[in-house]
Amino acid sequence: MSILAYNGGAMVAMKGENCVSIAADRRFGIQAQTLATNFEKIFEMGPHLYVGLPGLATDTQTVMEKLRFRKNLYELKENRPMAPKVFSAMLSHMLYEKRFGPFFVEPVVAGLEPKTYEPFICNMDLIGCINQPKDFVVGGTASAQLYGMCEALWEPNLGPDELFETTSQALINAFDRDAISGWGATVYIIEKDKITIKNLKTRMD
Amino acid sequence: MSLALRPSFPDYESVSKHNNFNPYSDNGGSVVAIAGDDFVVVGADTRLSAGFSIYTREQSKLFPLSANTVLGCSGCWCDTLTLTRILKSRMQMYQQEHNKTMSTTACAQMLSIILYYKRFFPYYISNMLVGLDDEGKGCVYSYDPVGHCERRTFRASGSAGALLQPLLDNQIGKKNMLNAKEEPVSKEAALSILKDVFISAAERDIYTGDSILINIITKDGTTEETFQLRRD
Amino acid sequence: MSLIELCGMESFTAPKIDRNFEDDISKFCGNFSCNMELGVPPFSNPMQLNQFSKDESGRDIKIQFDHGTTTLGFMYQGGVVLSVDSRATGGQFIGSQTMKKIVEINDFLLGTLAGGAADCVYWDRVLAKQCRMYELRNRERISVAAASKLMSNMVYNYKGMGLSIGMMLAGWDKRGPQLYYIDSEGTRTPGKVFSVGSGSIYAFGVLDSGYRWDLTDEEAYDLGRRAIYHATHRDAYSGGIVRVYHMKQTGWIHIDNNDCTDLYYKYQEEKEAIENRV
Repeated sequence: MSILAYNGGAMVAMKGENCVSIAADRRFGIQAQTLATNFEKIFEMGPHLYVGLPGLATDTQTVMEKLRFRKNLYELKENRPMAPKVFSAMLSHMLYEKRFGPFFVEPVVAGLEPKTYEPFICNMDLIGCINQPKDFVVGGTASAQLYGMCEALWEPNLGPDELFETTSQALINAFDRDAISGWGATVYIIEKDKITIKNLKTRMD
Repeated sequence: MSLALRPSFPDYESVSKHNNFNPYSDNGGSVVAIAGDDFVVVGADTRLSAGFSIYTREQSKLFPLSANTVLGCSGCWCDTLTLTRILKSRMQMYQQEHNKTMSTTACAQMLSIILYYKRFFPYYISNMLVGLDDEGKGCVYSYDPVGHCERRTFRASGSAGALLQPLLDNQIGKKNMLNAKEEPVSKEAALSILKDVFISAAERDIYTGDSILINIITKDGTTEETFQLRRD
Repeated sequence: MSLIELCGMESFTAPKIDRNFEDDISKFCGNFSCNMELGVPPFSNPMQLNQFSKDESGRDIKIQFDHGTTTLGFMYQGGVVLSVDSRATGGQFIGSQTMKKIVEINDFLLGTLAGGAADCVYWDRVLAKQCRMYELRNRERISVAAASKLMSNMVYNYKGMGLSIGMMLAGWDKRGPQLYYIDSEGTRTPGKVFSVGSGSIYAFGVLDSGYRWDLTDEEAYDLGRRAIYHATHRDAYSGGIVRVYHMKQTGWIHIDNNDCTDLYYKYQEEKEAIENRV
């Protein structure tokens, strides 16, 4: 069994019209055993910047702390918020530093570029190879299922409400076919002037 | 000349090289089936591949066993050939012995037993047997490699099975939809969903593509249809 | 017997084609004529199968059988209650959420399945046939003890070859209600309370704390339901629907099926109501 599948978890981020979404399940488990159903895998890294870290739970938290540290230093030094693009480059760099002893996370970044409010999403593998498509990115143990769902449900120029519906349907149906993710879900819709956070009612088995 | 200076020729090394023979191969392919009240549709892609190479772009993975029973296979192609050969002979033997064609339900049970016979050296195939049951209702039986079988109304299996099954749960099973009940789909809806899901699969699964062969089974018999997918 | 036959030459002159065809087809369906005879693999130890994990182009061969379960059964004053989940997983992928894990062998015998799905279903079917044959031969129903012994003897023949079965057999015979546990290692033991499968540790927690001999029928059903539900919540490989069966003197009856999602929100409400009262 892969270390990436030790704790389980599913994550997806999608681009919409002037908005982006990022969503993840809420399970924290050790292999088959579910320990908690309120585990956060998505973290706020700025006013319009969120990072999701599916994978090994210990590394999720370690990488998050390291990122926050580096991001804070950047903000103190530069006196401006970090753009998603810059943040992703930094994260990729940080992961590649550990090329031969990696952190077992497959990050997903979602946000809006400062000033232009251009939607931004990307994901990377555990050693920091960035993938920046125009539609959606997925990560975690239900990634095959998520690819199938997103490929069919996603369409260009979704508004915030449609984007919420599409993202949550994709995520819930995908992790309902994965044994080690699920048990609740959180969806973030990031728009220029508001962030909406919703917890979804899902199957709890 | 000292021994240490002798160049090494790997071909002449005296140590025997141990090459493991692998009896299985994964030739990819996906099968999707959807059953309705009086029909069943089954589609399989026509790509036959091994690793990163494609053997052929037009291999049917659907095997008609009788007028209203079709078997869809994906996985190891050589196992598929053997299994379908045996099934066909068994169907013929049954026909000649009992002077009637084997029903889909009986065939489903027989397939399970044939698969279980090879419990200790299984056929590496995901099977899907579709047809009409004794009441004329559409039925889909899906199998694991050693013959555990379950009847359902829709199922995706093969290399893109994990991608497509949640989509079918959502679109046909109406899972996670508020105020929506699962109800029988119409033939037209089933066909369009079938094509849609294969288009999605061809985008993300390299072992699925080229085209799909669809069999539509109704009480009037089986009709065939093809549909082009991406060929890269 | 002539020397020719001893050397295996007897078919040298006879037309060979017909028999080849016949042999070939029947060779791959040996268990049609003898249910207990399975194909022999072309290697000495059936567990060697795991070696073939890659094909010639290096792709992973994943022969993943459907697995994972929580099942339980207990005896009380009103008979035997069986309760099971309905999830089948192949690896981490949930193959089915609606699997039937209680097999109705006959009106007075029920079997639960845990372990390899195909193993359980196949051998239960063989057992069902054997039980029916016994009935026809002896003009009386088979006792649960005998049925369970038939099962354990059959699977014992394949011990060490990788079968994976953990079943409970519940029934009602001349001696009253009976509950047996049988597994592929050869264990066969009668008992009052059993739980089998990956989620059994969670189910036992609930079951043992609520179990009494003098439970009423409704209490017994609820206990079975709750125990399975809590197991499905904690165990990733259990879930779907909770099915409850009751074995009575008059034969088995199916009590109900409940979706785990509905149970979760129902129990959640109950819990909140109690908390609000305090």
